Amino acid sequence: MQSNALSLPVPRLAGDGGPEPERNDPVLSVRGLRTDFVTAVGTVHAVRDVSFDLRKGQRLAIVGESGSGKSAMAMSLMGLVPPPGRVVGGSVRLNGKEIVGLDDAGISRVRGKDIGLVFQDPMAALDPLKTIGSQFVETIRVHQDVPVKAARKMAADLLGEVGVNDAARRLSDYPHQYSGGMRQRVLIAMAIANDPSVVVADEPTTALDVTTQAQVLDLLAKICDERGNALVMITHNLGIVEELCDSVNVMYAGRFVECTSTEALFASPGHPYSKALLDCVIDPANARRGALPAIPGSPPDLSVDEPGCPFAPRCPIGRDQERCAIERPQPRTLSNGAVVRCHFAYDPQGETA
Amino acid sequence: MTSTLLKRLGVALATIFGASIFTFVLLRKVPGDPARAIAGDTATEETIAALRKSMGLDDNLFVQYGNYMGSLLRGDFGFSYSTGNSVGTLLGQRLPATLELGLLSVIIAIVAAVLAASFAVYSRRRWPDQAVRAASSLAMGSPPFWIALLALMVFSIQLGIFPGPEGRLSPGMLKPPNITGMFTVDSLLAGQWGTFANAAWHLILPAAIVAMGPFAFLSRLYRNQLRGTLRETFVAVSRSHGLRRLPVYNRHVAPHGLLSLLPAASLLFADLLAGSLLVEKVFGWPGIGSMTADAIIQKDFAVVQAVLLLAAVLYVVVSLLADLLMTAADPRTRVGAR
Repeated sequence: MQSNALSLPVPRLAGDGGPEPERNDPVLSVRGLRTDFVTAVGTVHAVRDVSFDLRKGQRLAIVGESGSGKSAMAMSLMGLVPPPGRVVGGSVRLNGKEIVGLDDAGISRVRGKDIGLVFQDPMAALDPLKTIGSQFVETIRVHQDVPVKAARKMAADLLGEVGVNDAARRLSDYPHQYSGGMRQRVLIAMAIANDPSVVVADEPTTALDVTTQAQVLDLLAKICDERGNALVMITHNLGIVEELCDSVNVMYAGRFVECTSTEALFASPGHPYSKALLDCVIDPANARRGALPAIPGSPPDLSVDEPGCPFAPRCPIGRDQERCAIERPQPRTLSNGAVVRCHFAYDPQGETA
Repeated sequence: MTSTLLKRLGVALATIFGASIFTFVLLRKVPGDPARAIAGDTATEETIAALRKSMGLDDNLFVQYGNYMGSLLRGDFGFSYSTGNSVGTLLGQRLPATLELGLLSVIIAIVAAVLAASFAVYSRRRWPDQAVRAASSLAMGSPPFWIALLALMVFSIQLGIFPGPEGRLSPGMLKPPNITGMFTVDSLLAGQWGTFANAAWHLILPAAIVAMGPFAFLSRLYRNQLRGTLRETFVAVSRSHGLRRLPVYNRHVAPHGLLSLLPAASLLFADLLAGSLLVEKVFGWPGIGSMTADAIIQKDFAVVQAVLLLAAVLYVVVSLLADLLMTAADPRTRVGAR
């Protein structure tokens, strides 16, 4: 598994402003990750050959439409792909430890401690029959050998840190006594309770109303800054990417089609799909009434892996190109450092390289 | 909370009232003249007419119902013509036997269903689930009286492991002192170990057979509830925190299953009063079921009516209790939102 070829070079990041530690090993290193869902009607290849590195303090966004394989990838990182899904190939290394293929005991030692996950729907993410306190204490004591009382104190401190008022008393409350935004704060606090080096947030604000979204995102950013966790933000919201993340991997049909820095993506998207995604962002100041911008067509059926570029049928360039229909584009680096999988990517230096 | 409780109580009383009217009218309207049945084939028309008058059968239905309810409220369940006893006495004799059988079979059904379904769902293999589903289909599809006959043939006649259809104790065995009326409990309380063993030995086979239907129902319900809960996000969340399979199952999956079992199991218990009717008959079990079967054949109105009403009361009371328990057990209903 370790011998798996680097199928997609990882972009070197520059200018994220933070104290980028020199030459340290990546905290998370993914190589050739593949995840399948075997169903009665066929095998869905949700994640196909995904590779990337994540360094301490880095904030990486994974963007793409629904059904592009983002969530399946997030779950694969945790070893939590729901059946009938399964990681069928590749490697995920956390702080140097390979986690693909670990048994229940092995992966349980990693989850929560090396990598934490913030889920999409905070309303469903807490056990309605247990108090917040008991769930929090349980989470802490999985990895830390502390008495219940001490764990409760730690839980209260963490809740205070994420902005829950009167935290000590609210530990005895049940999830239904918390609002959606508050529950997501609780879940963030639980996810970081054992100080994982990587936090994966799978569309953490999708289920929240707009006013709470910004608060929760700010909180995530603040927490990661203060504690130095690396962040993988799974989202379809490019606004979040611009505000929060320093690098972006654009995902389409289970593969990264563009890996670049946030700056470069917004300045000049290389892949036609990235460009199409950016074109769909509505600017309320200049929006005209009428049809909302959209990418024509729909994401491809992931149970078939056709030879050409999966985006070709929807692509303004590739639609008419024979090459895009028969030859799968291999990753290549553009002049601004972006790595794209496209025969006709927009290079900021030339027309279409 | 109190207003909900009062509302529930009101509904419960209304249900019992409705049930009393329904059983009363139904039994008065079925074909066949109870007076004629009691007086016998050789009785003259005058005797029958006199009997009808003394039983109050000539009054209009409202008057009859009024009389019936009046005596009921005084604790008088009427008179059983076929046995020559008051219905109250009969119930006092028969009810403990049925309760003992019913309680044990509900316990067997719940324990077996929870164990089987937990194993089926928790196992990573497929066969336990298929086995439990097959067992529950079989248990649901076979008529209990037929299984009872089969079990008697195999376990009692062929193998001789369990006693034959001789009731609650071996012939010649003295009854334990009457405390609860349930022989196993009473013999334990009195320290009569021999009697306890004998009573338990007589109880196990019919209880297991009566438990089959409820087992089938509960194991399916529990299995489906567990499988549904396993798909919940909070289960994935606790896994993501590093909890292993078994603790997640014990702390976050099983409690939801058990909570859903509570109302179902309570309704089954109320059902068992009437549900074991034919099994009691086959095993010669002197309970409510066999008494009711006899009473129906004899057109002994007072008995059938009392049993039906008792079943309705039990049903209403038990489901009321289950409701209250559910409310208390589920924090979403117990604790208001903030």
